Amino acid sequence: MKEYFNNIVGGIQSFWKGLSLTFKHMKNKKDLVATLQYPNEKWPIPERNIGFNLSEYNVIRSRLHVDMDDCIGCLQCERACPVDCIKIDTIKPPKESEFDCGKTSFGTQKKLVVPRFTIDMSECMYCNLCVYPCPEECIYMVGGPNEDKHEIDYEFSQYSRDGLIYEFADATDEDILSVGGDEYIKTREERKKRIADGESLNGTEILPGKEENVSVTASSAPAPSLDKPDFTVVNEIEDRVTRATAKKAFTQKFKEKASFQEISKFVKLSLEENGKYSSNLDDIIKRISEMTAPDSTDGGSSESAPAQEEMTHKSFNDLENKMQRGIVKKLFIGEKKKGLSDLDILKLIRAELKTKEMLDDQAKELLKKLMLQSVNPKETPKVESDVFDLKKLNDIEDKMTRGLAKKVYTKSKRDGKKSTEILADIESELQSQEKLTGSVDAVITGIRESI
Amino acid sequence: MSFVDSILSSLSSLEMNYTLLLLIAVTIPGLIIFLLMTVNAIVAVYMERKISAFMQDRLGPMEVGIFGFKGGKRFWGGIGQTIADAIKLLAKEDIIPKDADKFMMILAPFIIFIASFITFVGVPLSQDFLISNFNIGILYILAMSSVGVIGIILAGWSSNNKWSLYGAMRAASQIISYEIPIAITLLLPVIISGGLDVHTIVDWQLQNRWLILHSPFTFIAFFIFFVSGIAETNRTPFDIPEAESELVAGWMTEYSGFRWSLFFLSEYTNMLIISLVASFVFLGGWGSPLTIINLLPGDYMYLDGPILGFFWLLLKAIALIFIMMWFRWTFPRLRVDQLMYLCWKVFIPFAIFNMLAVGVWEVLF
Repeated sequence: MKEYFNNIVGGIQSFWKGLSLTFKHMKNKKDLVATLQYPNEKWPIPERNIGFNLSEYNVIRSRLHVDMDDCIGCLQCERACPVDCIKIDTIKPPKESEFDCGKTSFGTQKKLVVPRFTIDMSECMYCNLCVYPCPEECIYMVGGPNEDKHEIDYEFSQYSRDGLIYEFADATDEDILSVGGDEYIKTREERKKRIADGESLNGTEILPGKEENVSVTASSAPAPSLDKPDFTVVNEIEDRVTRATAKKAFTQKFKEKASFQEISKFVKLSLEENGKYSSNLDDIIKRISEMTAPDSTDGGSSESAPAQEEMTHKSFNDLENKMQRGIVKKLFIGEKKKGLSDLDILKLIRAELKTKEMLDDQAKELLKKLMLQSVNPKETPKVESDVFDLKKLNDIEDKMTRGLAKKVYTKSKRDGKKSTEILADIESELQSQEKLTGSVDAVITGIRESI
Repeated sequence: MSFVDSILSSLSSLEMNYTLLLLIAVTIPGLIIFLLMTVNAIVAVYMERKISAFMQDRLGPMEVGIFGFKGGKRFWGGIGQTIADAIKLLAKEDIIPKDADKFMMILAPFIIFIASFITFVGVPLSQDFLISNFNIGILYILAMSSVGVIGIILAGWSSNNKWSLYGAMRAASQIISYEIPIAITLLLPVIISGGLDVHTIVDWQLQNRWLILHSPFTFIAFFIFFVSGIAETNRTPFDIPEAESELVAGWMTEYSGFRWSLFFLSEYTNMLIISLVASFVFLGGWGSPLTIINLLPGDYMYLDGPILGFFWLLLKAIALIFIMMWFRWTFPRLRVDQLMYLCWKVFIPFAIFNMLAVGVWEVLF
């Protein structure tokens, strides 16, 4: 019982003691609060003595600073920087211009305008190597021995990383323009715009389909854009000397990217000059003039599509055994001429190797790989190039309808259908789901007209 | 006359449909109470953060302001912090765990919120602002303030999480235990003033003296009531239901966003309710505190009135809320057995003894 009351009394005492302690802290907050609100308040820098005069101390690792009035744009510091954090652009005023770049404090006449002098302090490693080559002593670390030039700055913290890129150049746009830097300003603005676009995720994305389209239009143009001339027609000429002359003329004109009509004329001309022209060559010359880029005639880029997927005798180059490789290649070329399918040829090859007891693991693996390839030929980007872009369907406002349309689109595209067929598919599917409203129909007709 | 009645009588000249009239008469005080709860939560959270910071030699929020005004430069900055926090809470994703009982989990915060909301029906804000004038006012407050336990248990059970369930069980045992000393200590004013009615108790105090100063036993009773009230609101040092170091956040573990902010709102509302009840039962209600020191000569009743009464009552409540915060940032959390010891072995015997002693005191003096 006594303990019980003692506990209560002790409890009340400690209760009061604790409360008075916290209240004391609250009351004396002016003296006791320990928080330093850093960017607004700073601890004073202590006076310090490092054993010698600070001005004799030749390196201090603080922030780099450039006195732009003294900079002659010699790029020595840029070259010296081991981490490439200094970027300088210079423009030389044309001889006839009256522009005066001014003089440095050493009395040197400046000959270049410096429209850009950036130091990225987030990359700088404070090695001080840029300071030594400067002929005008205008780039230096602030503080320390340079305290009289620029006060020390050791805590250049920023809210974003871009803030650490210091721009020292003070040439105005007018200065740049007056020394003929129109081109420079143009590219600078372009670059700025591209960076801004990229940051706001508006950059232009180059889709593989689009790129393919470009190449198709280029190759269907009259001028061939292929880098190797096609000699199949010319090779039909029987006389060696005549053939060589024709080939030479053909190549010469071809390299100039002339059209095939021009080539044919030129070939004829050169043959006449060399006295090799005869009326039986007329047919060949006519055929040359009728030649077009190889892929424009058969309506698509099927032949320009990557040929790696197609099996040739080179597919077997991976085989290490020379004998084996020879047999396989011979067999392959022979059978290919007979017009057998790839799979059948591969089967034949395997049987042949087996009978000759040359079917080792490597060969087995390669054959297996090739068989798989020939069974499921990979999709060529050609199919995508024909079809309109999926993003065009984004104009459909209703979410459900859009999803459905996109689903049909991807499915039809995988089946290798043409744009018009895909549109028809989408229309019929939407009609069956009773989602084909007026606005959706308008979108689809819009796409149809655009192709 | 209650607030609803006065609205009804003042609007009766408009010749409206009686149901519509009644709806308006109920909605207006409801909106006022909701506004009070929100403002109280925002102000009290700011106050709590500042007080805790000063007691721990920190500064607390200093950066966020309203319309560019941050508040005082050196100490009382960051007045927009709690408003920003409230907006953040409302904008947060509302997460319900996959295995939780969805219906009950959604229901629980509303039960807790409604429990503290309807308690206000019986709590006066000044002599003319008492939403409904029951003749059993104190009993109603007692009954309604313990409805919240249902919500807590629902929240803990439906979250399907062991921390939540532990927290809910602890909260339930704690709240039910501390109901008893609260009920017994609230009987003292009833014995002395002779009525359960809010007006009877406050009028008795205004005519005689504040109940806290009436006798040593009522002083002890006030202390017991107030500490038990802190335990009822689950605040430190009685915060074992949500003990951060043991149970993550107790029964609130799985809640986020708006539902969690409802819990928070009702916690601070419960603080306000306990403080308001303590001030009108023991600290003279809407009477001016200047009446005790009696400095002003003659008739000092001009310091009272519906507006000033509200001011005095709120002042007392805010002082008590400050004391609650002071407790919170001073004392460490009690162990579960210590908590039960304090309730069953200290508060309840003392409360019963008090009640008997007050009876004797009333007979003798």
